[in-house]
Amino acid sequence: MKGYYGEYGGQFVAETLIDALDELEEAFKRFKKDRYAKKELNDLLKNYAGRPTPLYYAKNLSDYLGCDVYLKREDLLHSGAHKLNNTLGQAILTKFMDKKRIIAETGAGQHGVATATAAALLGIGCVVYMGKVDAERQRPNLLRMRLLGADVRIVEKGSMTLKSAINEALRDWVRNVQNTHYILGSVVGPCPFPEIVAYFQSVIGREARKQILKQAKRLPDCVVACVGGGSNAIGIFKGFLKDDVELIGVEAGGESLELGKHSATLTEGKPGILHGALSYLLQDEFGQVAKVHSISAGLDYPGVGPEHSYLKDTGRVKYGVCFDSEALGGFKVLSRLEGIIPALESAHAVGYVVKNRDYFKGKTVIINISGRGDKDLGIIEALEEEGV
Amino acid sequence: MCKVGIYLVCDYPDRNSFLEAVKLCDGFGVDFLEIGIPFSDPTADGDTIEKAALEVLEREGIDDFYDALKSARKIFSRKLYVMTYANIVYANGIENFAKRFSFIDGVILADVPFRESKRFKDILKKYDIGFVHFVTPETDFETLEKIKSSANDFIYFISIRGTTGGKFELDSDAIERLKKLESSKQDIIVGFGIKTRDDVKKACEYADGIVIGTEVINSLTIGRFDEFLGSVVR
Repeated sequence: MKGYYGEYGGQFVAETLIDALDELEEAFKRFKKDRYAKKELNDLLKNYAGRPTPLYYAKNLSDYLGCDVYLKREDLLHSGAHKLNNTLGQAILTKFMDKKRIIAETGAGQHGVATATAAALLGIGCVVYMGKVDAERQRPNLLRMRLLGADVRIVEKGSMTLKSAINEALRDWVRNVQNTHYILGSVVGPCPFPEIVAYFQSVIGREARKQILKQAKRLPDCVVACVGGGSNAIGIFKGFLKDDVELIGVEAGGESLELGKHSATLTEGKPGILHGALSYLLQDEFGQVAKVHSISAGLDYPGVGPEHSYLKDTGRVKYGVCFDSEALGGFKVLSRLEGIIPALESAHAVGYVVKNRDYFKGKTVIINISGRGDKDLGIIEALEEEGV
Repeated sequence: MCKVGIYLVCDYPDRNSFLEAVKLCDGFGVDFLEIGIPFSDPTADGDTIEKAALEVLEREGIDDFYDALKSARKIFSRKLYVMTYANIVYANGIENFAKRFSFIDGVILADVPFRESKRFKDILKKYDIGFVHFVTPETDFETLEKIKSSANDFIYFISIRGTTGGKFELDSDAIERLKKLESSKQDIIVGFGIKTRDDVKKACEYADGIVIGTEVINSLTIGRFDEFLGSVVR
């Protein structure tokens, strides 16, 4: 069925938004056939954003773990994370649709910064919704968004994290749908968003595949990426879906796997409907969306992209968890051994490989370092003060 | 005669006041009730209804809502609808929901547009529960005709682009669609943003009825529901 990945996906939104989703789908189709628009995007990705990002053989980490680790360096992309791949693409779609205003949600702030960046570059007005809890724990990104000219609106309702920010962005979109495009930041939401975001992020996997073949003269045994909504993971997995390569998505185990203390949607959730899509969801027995937790604002979300739900059920991708403490371990290991400070989100992928080092022994592994960790220094500092 | 529907958040502000409001509606001759089962993430609702719903959700769950709806059913003699979000119906199986709530007349799901409605509508129908479709000022005419011919309960015309409680208006796109719906076998009910007797009058020029939600919740919050009801119904 159109807009579905197996049984997952769909368009569970207010009837008012259907027309806008159709318009977006239409614009996306036109974009894919438009050589000039694609050239514009490719020029921006190369000369403005800094693509291709390196695939780096992490020798020290490899020696430490007893396997060959390559890092896909999305942290080196302009604005500090993979998010810009998508926002530049969707900003061009916004122009295609002749809309004058962009809105976005943000959790860790990386998607907000990337949206504000693209909006500044293309001269489009931009409003970003951010939960109060996230605005506090990811303050550097809040300041960056404002410097870039975005109108950041702090959401003081509900969980005050990514979920609340998406709720408010959806409400704004319903009210202003005629002149506004909503740039969703992950492979979540109603069709066609999961497809569009995956399309723009798949550049990560395409590059990584070429790079590993060139450098290692072989495909990797495993590709590991963190999963919140799942955009960086889908982006890199897309390059290897048809290969005999093990794909591993790492969810945030938070403090423990008790409901309310983690964000491991695929590991612990069951199918449900939130933010426009049918997908795995952390919820209580009555269908109320559960409270979630992660040390990382970008993974602190009760839902996940519908394509991930499909890839889980078909068994093509394996999903595991990394707890807060293990992610912090990964954060420190990568900083000390390689001089690379990863985002706490990406540190979950590193932490997973570190804790399962026996499993990865002797293998060739690509870890997607989806973002850089400057934004997380406040969290680390606070934890160190607490003596964690 | 223009029908009047009243939206109440289940058990808001508390069980007694809620059932009292249901009784008042019955006494005033309100034509139908929409009872909102609170959902944690009510993205189609404005601040007023969201706040009320989340307040109730702090202390109650689906079993309480079931009890409250059962009581409301006994009190209210005309049509009774449940308005909620897809996941409340979906989470434990649509069939289980339909079985349990088979005493209601229809279901309104704010995040289920026409193109996603089949899986809900077909099962609910087996239990003689209607499914309410929405039409908006943006609905294309092809879809509008499909909705018109397949509706098995009233058609909910969302008059404004926005969440519940916005400012009521009927622009030319809205009026054009309302005219096309005139020949429908089902009632056309206008909602979202209706607050005053004048709004009611204006909507009823083009529709079979109206539904009021946000202003109802506001009046319940300040304990003046009977006054408000009198001002719009009589």
